[in-house]
Amino acid sequence: MATDLVPEVVQPAADSSRPAPAAKRTRRARNLPRDLFRYRWLYLLLLPGLVYFVVFKYLPMYGLTIAFKDYVPFLGYSGSEWVGLKHFQELFTGPDFGRLLFNTLLLALLTIVFVFPAPIVVALLLNELRVNVLKRSVQSLVYIPHFLSWTIVASLTYLLFSVDFGVIANWIHGIVGGQKTDYVAQADWFRPLIVLQLLWKQTGWGTIIYLAALAGVDSQLYEAARVDGAGRWRQFWHITLPAIRPTIVVMAILTSGHLMDSGFEQIWLMTTSLNRDVADVFDTFVYYIGITQGSFSYATAVGLFKGVVGVVLIFGSNLLAKRLGQRGLF
Amino acid sequence: MKPVMKQRVRYYDSVGSRVFDVLNVVVLTALALVTVLPLLYVLAGSFATESEISSRPFFLWPHKFVTDTYHYIFSTDTFVRALLTTVAVTAVGTVIQLLLTLTMAYPLAKRFLPGRALVLNLVIFTLVFSGGMIPTYLVVRDLGLLDSYWALILPLAINPFYLIVVKSFFQELPEALEEAARIDGCNELNVFLRIVLPLSKPIIATFSLFYAVGIWNDYMSPLLYIDDSKKWTLQMIVRQLTAANADSANVLQQLETVTFPEQGLKFAVVVVATLPILFFYPFLQKHFAKGVLIGSVKE
Amino acid sequence: MTIFSRRRIAVAAVTTALLAASACSGGGDDKGGEAASNELTVMAPLFGTAPDPNGELQQAVEKLIGKKLKVTWVPNAEYGDKSNVTLASDKIPDVMVVNEKSPSFVKAAEAGAFWDLTGKLDKYPNLKPSNEQTAKNSQTNGKTYGIYRVRPLLRSGIVIRKDWLAKLGLKEPQTTNDLYTIAKAFAEKDPDGNGKKDTYGLIIPKWPGNYASASPYDVVETWFGAPNGWGERDGKLVPGFDTPEFLKANEWLRGWVKEGLVNPDFATLDSANWNDPFVQGKGGMIIDVNVRATQLLDLFKEKNPKDFDKVTLVGNLKGPDGEKHSYPFTGYNMVMAISKQHVRTEDQLDQVLQTLDKLESKDGSILLTNGIEGRNFKVDGQYAVPLNQDDPKVKAIQNDVDKAFIQLGTRASVGLGAYALRPNDEASRAMREKFDVLMNEDLKTAVFNPALSIIAPTAVAKGQTLDTIIPDARIKYLSGAITEEQLKAQIKRWYDSGGTDIVKEVNDLSAKAGG
Repeated sequence: MATDLVPEVVQPAADSSRPAPAAKRTRRARNLPRDLFRYRWLYLLLLPGLVYFVVFKYLPMYGLTIAFKDYVPFLGYSGSEWVGLKHFQELFTGPDFGRLLFNTLLLALLTIVFVFPAPIVVALLLNELRVNVLKRSVQSLVYIPHFLSWTIVASLTYLLFSVDFGVIANWIHGIVGGQKTDYVAQADWFRPLIVLQLLWKQTGWGTIIYLAALAGVDSQLYEAARVDGAGRWRQFWHITLPAIRPTIVVMAILTSGHLMDSGFEQIWLMTTSLNRDVADVFDTFVYYIGITQGSFSYATAVGLFKGVVGVVLIFGSNLLAKRLGQRGLF
Repeated sequence: MKPVMKQRVRYYDSVGSRVFDVLNVVVLTALALVTVLPLLYVLAGSFATESEISSRPFFLWPHKFVTDTYHYIFSTDTFVRALLTTVAVTAVGTVIQLLLTLTMAYPLAKRFLPGRALVLNLVIFTLVFSGGMIPTYLVVRDLGLLDSYWALILPLAINPFYLIVVKSFFQELPEALEEAARIDGCNELNVFLRIVLPLSKPIIATFSLFYAVGIWNDYMSPLLYIDDSKKWTLQMIVRQLTAANADSANVLQQLETVTFPEQGLKFAVVVVATLPILFFYPFLQKHFAKGVLIGSVKE
Repeated sequence: MTIFSRRRIAVAAVTTALLAASACSGGGDDKGGEAASNELTVMAPLFGTAPDPNGELQQAVEKLIGKKLKVTWVPNAEYGDKSNVTLASDKIPDVMVVNEKSPSFVKAAEAGAFWDLTGKLDKYPNLKPSNEQTAKNSQTNGKTYGIYRVRPLLRSGIVIRKDWLAKLGLKEPQTTNDLYTIAKAFAEKDPDGNGKKDTYGLIIPKWPGNYASASPYDVVETWFGAPNGWGERDGKLVPGFDTPEFLKANEWLRGWVKEGLVNPDFATLDSANWNDPFVQGKGGMIIDVNVRATQLLDLFKEKNPKDFDKVTLVGNLKGPDGEKHSYPFTGYNMVMAISKQHVRTEDQLDQVLQTLDKLESKDGSILLTNGIEGRNFKVDGQYAVPLNQDDPKVKAIQNDVDKAFIQLGTRASVGLGAYALRPNDEASRAMREKFDVLMNEDLKTAVFNPALSIIAPTAVAKGQTLDTIIPDARIKYLSGAITEEQLKAQIKRWYDSGGTDIVKEVNDLSAKAGG
């Protein structure tokens, strides 16, 4: 029986204008009209956004139940037949499920380990950079790859790594010797290439948000620390990192919800007959279903499944963050 | 007001600190190069002839400099019209999105607000669940927004992910300032407008960039909701000219006069479609990238 | 805060309420009223920039058919998505260019969204199918849901470096053995004379389609006597890959790969770059559609206008059994279907068909394929010659024709039923003549796919698993990653994963449709 005010309220700055401090720990009778009036400005500010969510996010939500039907666009929602859990059964018992799950999760794991931290590291490095000219130039350049479409990234990958004339491929071959490896074709190199592509394309863009967090740090804190005799490392550890930590936590929790989402277009472009076994993920699977079956229902069912996993992950990581002493999303 | 340090303060850095600085420069320069070289290739390729692109593996400057691709792009007014349309839609859209996001995030940052958790849950739910392409299309249709520019803005008015990040930023702001304002008699609205917003410049800059780019790059909305080719946005044309044809059968069955765009044209289109954002960026950059200037005069 | 707090329940309640409320709305309600009878709505793919509805070409077309045209041009890259959304809305155009085999269309058509035109087209002289095989190909389980857009019925051929043949003293191939000899010579005998062993024979790209999608592999398999997609063996229809000829053909190709006669990146080369190795002098053979020959001629011309006649085209080959088997095309690309959205009665249907009949008449076909005679082209014998191309208005007409309006033609396409473009040089002209000669010759031995119009339910339901089994296995086998035994195991896997059902369904449906 939780209310708003229960355990998580650890606000040190207790102030008289705030209602019922934590000490009470009893359920305060909620007086709706009074609260509406008291916080009227806040509710007013909240209203437009709320309307948006209801109209554009929740009204179409009935579409989720398409997962339980055999939806034919022409027949419309009501005209389409109800099939219950058929699509889910097909999904879970199909021959591909295990492989899809494995590929999706492995890719997600690699993304968490390599791609998630990269913008943080780069943002921190940039923050510490003392050469202004370089700092500005790097900042102005690293985000540009984000704008290139995956088609171009795929062509560039091919250009650089092709077994025939790939510049990087030949360069590596020059150093390592032996037989020429076809990086683009072989299954073993599929995941590394995907991760490299993600790193190249997304890191720069990702630094922006962390730079914003660092920009908000009061430089007086650094001054004070220096005066107190703190060296560079200590300043980093005690000022910079804590400044960026909440952002990292929030980003981590939110991103966990998308764990099962893989970059569909990116993977689709890099899939070949030779690496399909490791390349197939839920998203490409669903796309292919759309082409071969035109089945929206199946696609929605997979989306629903991913959504459920996503919700569990978000609330799970939120709890984890709280246990570790961070603020979490709530 | 914060005092500005006028004198140059010298510190003696440890060896470790200097080594780090050097490494840092090296690493970041390498990063910049790795990022930039392929981009330069794309730029160079947009000014090269097709035969050069297919014969030379990787180059930074074309042997033969031509501007055919750009001529082609600007030869019809379609491209320019789409460009202007997109600029307008992006400008208006970003403002709307920012307004809605900021105003909704602020109350959600107030933990004492009744109903806050409910709304937050509703928002988080939409992060992972969506009704889908067709139901959303039907809602847009029922609102009479089909084939209008509003259909490119309103359905995406708030990005739940951004909303939550903005909310967290608001939560990190020092309470003391807000408190002081309240004690001085400001109501919540004034606190929001006069204290919180001015303090949130990095956030506003960051998310106006994110939202603007989101609309700029969005091709799904124009595809679904716009029928009138005069209202096409830039991405429709970009995709038209660069998308890989995943539909296998059609690749072969096309007629002779349907020539697929050459590589050079694809590059040129990308350059033109990206350039406007590159102009926009520096204006915002100073807001979210101040960083810390250690050991030098403060700007 | 536990998962089951009151808040969660509240969220669930709200959501359920919304779901329940919305469940009653949305979807196929009253779908529009009567059509404005002097306007025809159309949806068609677009390959460039969209025409101006008030442009000269559209005016001319409207004048010819006596009705206003309201065309929704959709970029071809997203045609599929847009089609689906259109089918879900209540704004389905009267006439829609559509892939009649796509599952969404089939479901919609069978649910009554489109007119069944079986037998109805014969009384319209310009809509009546002109080729029986093509008509059969464009059906859906025996029913005709649209007017097919004609394409050449056979286009397969081999493009070879003419100058390399000459240098090595070789003749154009007649049989598969000849082709092998030539490929080996190309790879080993230094045909470009640069003293380095850096050339190979055949160039194959990463194929974007699945089995029986006119890939070089399918063509070669046909030469060896394998069926095209499906074939009759012992009175029953079997899939083409379950034949000894299929295995033999791939064994042969595997040898090519092993001996370095094929480009090393055949599993990954982007088909958009297919011409590059040929033009750069890395490989000397391409098995594809005949128009690639003129494409290559143009590319060589761009490189060196003085010496560019380096391309020759050869038709289908005789296989090891001494017989020639040719790989045909389907003869069409997409159909024009008539929706029942506004066209509700037989009378209205007749009206629309009459309008289309006018559109596809000889004059209409010329408008759609060439343009406005005297404005953007003039007639020179059997050819169309571009006129006034510097005038921006004329360029607009040309653009409208080439990128848009030609998509509305069912009776004519490039080189068929309207004027062909006059070739710019003798080499191209000779090449184009060859297309027709080779096509007519090869059509005599064409191996058609008897099950092209059959849509088996299991094939649709399990497509995402089954479709990639054979093409993937083929590539793995060719690249040496698996053995022939393993390839056969993959074929068995196809059967076990649902293929057996498909075979049964195809046979049953085929018999019902009149085989």
